Amino acid sequence: MSPTGFPEADVHVVPYHTASATTGEDDTAALIVRWRAPGASKAQPIMLMGHMDVVEAKAEDWAGTDPFKMVEKDGYYYGRGTIDMKDGITAITQAMINLRKAGFKPKRDIVVLFTGDEETNGIGARNGASQWLDLLGHPEFGLNADGGGISVNTDGSPAGATMQTAEKTFAGYTLTVRNRGGHSSKPRKDNAIYSLAHALDKIEAYRFTPMLNETTRAYFAGRAKLEKGPLGDAMRRWLANPNDGEAADFIEASESEVGLTRTRCVPTRLFAGHADNALPQLATAMINCRIFPGIDPNATKAELERIVADPTVVVSRNDDRVASLASPLRPDVMAAFTHAVHSLHPNQPVFPEMSTGASDARPFRVAGIPVYGVNGGWTVTPIDNRAHGKDERLPVQSLYDNVVHWQLMLQDLAGK
Amino acid sequence: MKRAFGLILASTISSAAFSATDPRTVPTKLPPAWQAKTRDVFKQAIEIPSVHNRGEMPRMAKLLADQFRAAGIPEADIHVIPYEALPGDKTVALIVRWRSARPTKKPMLILGHMDVVEAKREDWKFDPFTFREEGGYFYGRGTADMKNGDVATTMAAVKLMSEGFKPSRDIIFFYSGDEETRGVGATLGAGKWRNLTDAEFGLNADDQSCGYSASFQMLGCRVGTGEKTFQTYLFTTHNPGGHSSRPRPDNAIYDLADALEKLRNHRFEPMMNETTRAYFEELAGQQGDSALGKALRRLVANPFDGVAADVIEADPLTVGATRTRCVATMLKAGHADNALPQTAQATVNCRIFPGVEPKLVQAELQQMVGPGVEVTPDPEYIGFPTPVSPIRDDVFKAFAASVRRFHGPDTHVFPYVSPGASDGSFFRAKGIPVYNVDSTWVIRPDDERSHGLDERMPVRAMYDDVLHWEFMIRSLAS
Repeated sequence: MSPTGFPEADVHVVPYHTASATTGEDDTAALIVRWRAPGASKAQPIMLMGHMDVVEAKAEDWAGTDPFKMVEKDGYYYGRGTIDMKDGITAITQAMINLRKAGFKPKRDIVVLFTGDEETNGIGARNGASQWLDLLGHPEFGLNADGGGISVNTDGSPAGATMQTAEKTFAGYTLTVRNRGGHSSKPRKDNAIYSLAHALDKIEAYRFTPMLNETTRAYFAGRAKLEKGPLGDAMRRWLANPNDGEAADFIEASESEVGLTRTRCVPTRLFAGHADNALPQLATAMINCRIFPGIDPNATKAELERIVADPTVVVSRNDDRVASLASPLRPDVMAAFTHAVHSLHPNQPVFPEMSTGASDARPFRVAGIPVYGVNGGWTVTPIDNRAHGKDERLPVQSLYDNVVHWQLMLQDLAGK
Repeated sequence: MKRAFGLILASTISSAAFSATDPRTVPTKLPPAWQAKTRDVFKQAIEIPSVHNRGEMPRMAKLLADQFRAAGIPEADIHVIPYEALPGDKTVALIVRWRSARPTKKPMLILGHMDVVEAKREDWKFDPFTFREEGGYFYGRGTADMKNGDVATTMAAVKLMSEGFKPSRDIIFFYSGDEETRGVGATLGAGKWRNLTDAEFGLNADDQSCGYSASFQMLGCRVGTGEKTFQTYLFTTHNPGGHSSRPRPDNAIYDLADALEKLRNHRFEPMMNETTRAYFEELAGQQGDSALGKALRRLVANPFDGVAADVIEADPLTVGATRTRCVATMLKAGHADNALPQTAQATVNCRIFPGVEPKLVQAELQQMVGPGVEVTPDPEYIGFPTPVSPIRDDVFKAFAASVRRFHGPDTHVFPYVSPGASDGSFFRAKGIPVYNVDSTWVIRPDDERSHGLDERMPVRAMYDDVLHWEFMIRSLAS
């Protein structure tokens, strides 16, 4: 151990098993690191959160670069995980090392939790919010690098810095169609694949009812100030009249706001059939829903059943998640985040947001530990929105800015 | 049978001579000792899961080869030949030659295949690879396609040898190991291994020739002389994808679903050839004034009557007979539950009317779905049109005499072109005429479960088929 290193006893690599019906099984690990405050601190620890796993990426789908070889090109780092979210775990780690080397002494414990299955099952976060709480020192609140961040428009103008205080509920559903099948030289009138395709066409055409909550109201109020054109007008119209569905649809259709006005469900995977020369006996579609906070996922299942309106298409849930909850705004966190953002991006307005993606924050919020997505990376919207997709990338400068951002956050929240 | 299953031979026999006896309850004439031997080998065959890539074909070949060995076929005339089918699928073919001491005719080939289509335990009521006898049926994957034919032809030969029968020509038994996937075995059998297989003609034990209606009327027995062309196409859509929490307006799965809706509604142009015309004429007579009978007469009178052709095509008795048909059989799309799909692909299986070039079908499909969907032939198997075999009197007479012993003297016997393709097409393409002449029968449509769930075969049909092949060999090789 170097003089500035963390003692072995405070660095835990915790192996755990993760599994679900749709993603299979995996042996993975979480990293828990405790940076102890000298003396006895009365305050409970601050938890710094991130995840180490990434979504699958196939070299043949990417435009020329191997997703698992980092390439620096035209001011960007390319590679799977550059924005979701090896940038965040690197920034937290480097910020802690820098502060420790500089002699920073936290006034309260800082504990890191990096999980190993956020993109699949979230078992690490579930364990963190239950059986690992002693190891984590029962943190007072969490700061998650997998949420929040700064957006810049393509013309360089500010698009806002957001702190994530709520997230939609991630819920998976399966549409299943069964059929007697038979030989493909004698097509039957009913066919599991055609029934499934018809159900998918109905889901494609369906629009869930637009909704607003306190976080999204504050978010759109902040965004409306930045948007001068028709998008800003739609935000202003919708805030003035929450029943203006046309305005909500206009907002939902914009690339920067998609998913923020309502529950969204989209098919992500298909499986059907067992041989090319046999009529399918089974056809399934995975439907991934991001449910507006507070809505019970069982109600969304019932809504899917109404949309499909075909008793031969069976809708089932892939998980048992409950509705996610929003975290209350903490003035100290909001102030620290605003201070850090404005140190590097003085013109960026700061406001809370509801995230459309699911993160490890959910089980902690449900367990009563508020979590704030306060990452400090920045991207150009919408062209850099490539998380989970092809040619994922991060502006080179964003990575370095993010290290500084986390140092400032820790100094403000754990140094005073 | 591969990619193929027959179109139903329909014909209602109006004669009051047949009371509607349940054919499953009529006792077989196969002696009990041979029933026991046949059942034992059939059980072993069904319980070998000889699905592609499972490496089980050598066991299947050994099971059949052991029967020939025990009956006295010398080792030098039993060939188990390894070959690769789908990439990485190491399979085998079995070729057995039963020599004639003094041949007076060119050899005769008997064809079968040892592989079966995949079957999943969770889809079936029972384990598909555990043999069951229940309610007058044998159940299990391969009971109808086509371990029935493998076992019936083998046991018929064993029985004949035990009775001292001396064939007047060499009889070659050829059992392939990849009929359901690529047909490499049949390609090699008709080509590279021709010194072992060369014959005047072939008899294929694939497919059920005879059928009964649900009310137990004999629907006739058919001799397959030709086949539609088998070609699988892949429909593929691409998309940049992205995070599923931020759905894009375009989506590879939605694009594919739209293409599948178009495919579901697409109808190829009706076509007719001499064989199907003869078949429709005969069927029209039998169908009387039913909707199908009227439509058949209208179509025969005017081959351009598309409405009539659609009525015929929609009838389960004649589905696949009037045109090229394409149907979606498999889907795969996406790479993670929480990511928008970057590719989505449907497998579309086509049975192309004899004589039509597969490239024209591809062009029609491409035009139907538009430029946003890639339509490509499955690179694993490129289909080719094959000739229809000329009618041989000796084969037809032997077949008719045999099936009439089981089903009555008035049983209709037809030549017909199958909507599917089997190993026979590879031999037909290389100049060996092939006739599909197995005798097993099913109650239509309930027993038509080849490639599907809970596949089964009436117990009596299985035992009678041993007698049938015994009769065919005696008739054509003495």
